[in-house]
Amino acid sequence: MKAIKLSHLDTVATLLGDVEKNQVVEIISADNEIIAEITTLQAITFGNKIALAEINDGEHIYKAGHSIGKSIVEIPVGQLVHVQNVRSERLDIPASIIEEIIKQMGIEQ
Amino acid sequence: MTATFQGYPRPNGTFGIRNNIMIVAIDECCEGIARNISKEIEGSVVVTNHYTCMYGGNEEMIGTIIHTAINPNIAGVLVIAMGCGSIDPELVSAPVREVGLPAHSLTVIKNKGTVETIKDGIALAKELKTYADSVERVEAPVSALKIAIKCGGSDTSSGIASNPSAGAAADKLIDLGAACMAGELLELLGCEDILKERAVNDEVRVKIDRLISEDLARWHVIEGTETMSIGNSVGGLTTIDEKSQGAMHKTGSRPIQDVLRINHIHREKPTVPGFYLTEATMLCGGAAMHFASLGAQLIIWTAGAAGFNNSIVPVIRVSGNSSMITADMDINACGIMSATDTINNVSDKIVEKVLDVASGAPTNLEGIGYAYASLYQKDQRLEHLLQICPA
Repeated sequence: MKAIKLSHLDTVATLLGDVEKNQVVEIISADNEIIAEITTLQAITFGNKIALAEINDGEHIYKAGHSIGKSIVEIPVGQLVHVQNVRSERLDIPASIIEEIIKQMGIEQ
Repeated sequence: MTATFQGYPRPNGTFGIRNNIMIVAIDECCEGIARNISKEIEGSVVVTNHYTCMYGGNEEMIGTIIHTAINPNIAGVLVIAMGCGSIDPELVSAPVREVGLPAHSLTVIKNKGTVETIKDGIALAKELKTYADSVERVEAPVSALKIAIKCGGSDTSSGIASNPSAGAAADKLIDLGAACMAGELLELLGCEDILKERAVNDEVRVKIDRLISEDLARWHVIEGTETMSIGNSVGGLTTIDEKSQGAMHKTGSRPIQDVLRINHIHREKPTVPGFYLTEATMLCGGAAMHFASLGAQLIIWTAGAAGFNNSIVPVIRVSGNSSMITADMDINACGIMSATDTINNVSDKIVEKVLDVASGAPTNLEGIGYAYASLYQKDQRLEHLLQICPA
């Protein structure tokens, strides 16, 4: 399976299909060159993001060259980067909705 | 790549990519009359003021009709009024004549009623059609093109495939001399700092902050208004910042020349090549007419899940969602999602398609199933209560 890293600044890549835990993901650039291989720490579904580097607590998450929010815990390489470990700097999703998203997606924590 | 297209020259120096006759029902009660006239005239389009027959409070919407009537894709205009409302049909006809094109006003009450007006309207529209048919396409520079970019039914593929491809195409078209524009300011919430870095001056930076925050005030009147759906997040969008940036990718990377205002006082239009943000609404039908009123001859539509179409401004549909690839889609960006194609390559295809369609090639849905020519305007009472002052 492949995941696309849209900018060289990015700390996450977007999955182009579903992956299981302990699966190797090929990270590709926007020009479709394979630039890295990362092993998943959990199942990640199509369209979601995988951590490409160790991300400290309170660090900006970069996708397509821009910050999409800040981490609220340490995120290891290969983990799903999503509502359970990232918050917006602009307008937060209500806590009850985050719980519902985690439940619907079956995110392993 | 050729940097010209074949367009219809207009007396004011602009170039149309289509040669439509516009029939306006300036009062809602004239809709049937306008449709009956349009039926007899090939290549005619009907625009109806469906709000009321009152002018006061509807100036912004009437402004959209006036400025659409002088869009270069229009070769001549017929305006029908009932005669008992407060909107003078000459508000639309006079500016069309000022740009050197033929326009007529017909008032039903003064013209012996509905049946006679349809008869006379058909005769006048046929004259307009004869004029339109006398205009031939000539070589025109890409700098004569104004291209709008809009997203509809966004999904995960929009932010990764179709929007970045449309944005890259906008960059290439601007480098060829075109002006490109996008609206949907509310959907850029959280992107203000990134956009301000692209602004050409401080005045534009102030407008970016002001107009996005005004749109937030306008749409989030009730606390807890949904900004992101659970479906957005299950599909992979983590924050509003990320969702907005996905939408922002369709704006490309070139400097932002201005944020064009659409209200009852201002109808700002592109003045030089480059990228423009605009107050065009996020609502599909209304957005197409807003872009028409800003002078756009063509729309690039990045569709996660929609086959939008407009009768005045041709729409090139781009999708990266494989379940959406039907005969509706003009550009297939799915290869980006399966890692077999690139944003750069898809954007080249979009640029090529833009120049083909500008020269007369039909889009996949041209002439088939148009959307209603919706005339969205801001609620003036709400603007007043929110103390949003357009002056």
